[in-house]
Amino acid sequence: METYFTAAVAGLTAGGAYALLGVCAVFTYRLVAVVNFTGAAIGTAGTFMLISLTEAGYPTWPSVLAGIVTGTAVGVAIGFVMTRWFATAGASTKAAVTAALLVGLIAIGLRLTGGQHPHVMPELFPGSAFRLAGVQVTNASALTIGLAVLFTVASSLFLNGTRTGLHLRALSERPMAAELLGVRVRLLSLFVWGVTGAFTTFALMIIAPQRSPNFMTLSLLVVPALAAALIGLFRSFWLTLAGGIALGILEGLASTVDVVSQYRSAIPFLVILAVLLWSQREARWDEAR
Amino acid sequence: MSALRVSGLSIARAGLPVVSGVDLVAEPGAISVVLGANGAGKTTLLEGLSGIIPVTGGTIAIGGSEVQNALAGLRSRAGLAHVEQGRTVFGQLTTDENLRIGLRKGAGTDEAYGLFPELTQRRQVRGGLLSGGEQQMLVIARALLTRPKVLLIDEMSAGLAPVIVTRLMHTVRRLADEGLAVLLVEQFAALALSIGDRAYVMRRGRFVYDGDCGSLAKAPDELHRLYLGTT
Repeated sequence: METYFTAAVAGLTAGGAYALLGVCAVFTYRLVAVVNFTGAAIGTAGTFMLISLTEAGYPTWPSVLAGIVTGTAVGVAIGFVMTRWFATAGASTKAAVTAALLVGLIAIGLRLTGGQHPHVMPELFPGSAFRLAGVQVTNASALTIGLAVLFTVASSLFLNGTRTGLHLRALSERPMAAELLGVRVRLLSLFVWGVTGAFTTFALMIIAPQRSPNFMTLSLLVVPALAAALIGLFRSFWLTLAGGIALGILEGLASTVDVVSQYRSAIPFLVILAVLLWSQREARWDEAR
Repeated sequence: MSALRVSGLSIARAGLPVVSGVDLVAEPGAISVVLGANGAGKTTLLEGLSGIIPVTGGTIAIGGSEVQNALAGLRSRAGLAHVEQGRTVFGQLTTDENLRIGLRKGAGTDEAYGLFPELTQRRQVRGGLLSGGEQQMLVIARALLTRPKVLLIDEMSAGLAPVIVTRLMHTVRRLADEGLAVLLVEQFAALALSIGDRAYVMRRGRFVYDGDCGSLAKAPDELHRLYLGTT
């Protein structure tokens, strides 16, 4: 029993990161109507800026800042492409464009970072934060979950309590009607892309030491992120948060069972499949009738 | 100076010309009515004026400043408000939130509730749950809070009860009397001509009539001929 509990707690770091990445995906979808496949790749670009600078001997925290600025800039650049050329495209076209951009980002990233060449990722928050029923909860776990909760609460307060938040909600519903009222639609869209880029980058910087720090592996964390977002049906920040943490715990638990351990990276795909089947159940039922 | 002056305006959709060489003016304190059969190009004209779709030629000046190459948001900030066809309320936002989106300096939501007291009791109701008439009042009031020089209104009467249409038409007349320039696109020709000052009739993307509303209102046969192009 204790083994399972330890494994579940160990999964919290990944769970917190999935939750934060998922909440960012929901934020992007709700406000600029894009299912963003590049989310994790944007963060990975920023994370590799940190790795490159620290490997070159620069101090850690200024490098973290440079990494976050890079992630923000890449996010804004992707946002520029989406708002400039695909603003009026349908949801599936936009999603397909971000999937294509993901492939491009991975190709460029692998080229620039030396492919599978091993890198040293500095651990930003080493050590444990507290003990939970005798099991150490790491600083990284506490921070990623805390950051995801903070982002969720701050998003809600910002969207419901500020004029810019009101403009973003209007923009998400009817972009052209909002623009006709003088709302700076493009600027706000770029703001959304920039903010999610910054948060995603920081989340990946925390989780990267626990993963194989190569560009492709980190970029593909978009899969569990989108699985978490799907649990929240791309609407609920809190369900997405809970879904991301649950995914991390599930992966942690799976690592203790020999038979499924080597397949645990498939868990997000199974979750995606299950949520899609569940959400389509009424249509299937109607067809069957 | 005219609130809106348009010269030689051309607009295309998917490469096909829909509006060709249109000239029009909207003066402060007056209602210019644009009439025409379905497919004549009236909605395309308004969408080109407000920047929803790009224009292919001609000039658009708001208060003397040319804006034909500006984005819709810039045209709004220059003083042009567009009440689109189909009552484009933000359905998930409350009435009050809908009104606050475009609020400009010196404007307050109380003005909107003063103009349409019906909305006062619906302040906290989501836009999507309002009746058709209330939604139309909301989008007109919302546009007015952007402090426009010129107000474009597209098919205000569509899908509304006659009593509501009459009420809205009288409100638009009052707004014009207070100094606003209004460009009204309307299928309900008789009522539009009864409140309008200047009339334009559009056929196949061109104006075939430019004159005063009173004369056209007294000549229904002429209006019919202008609509259909028969001799």
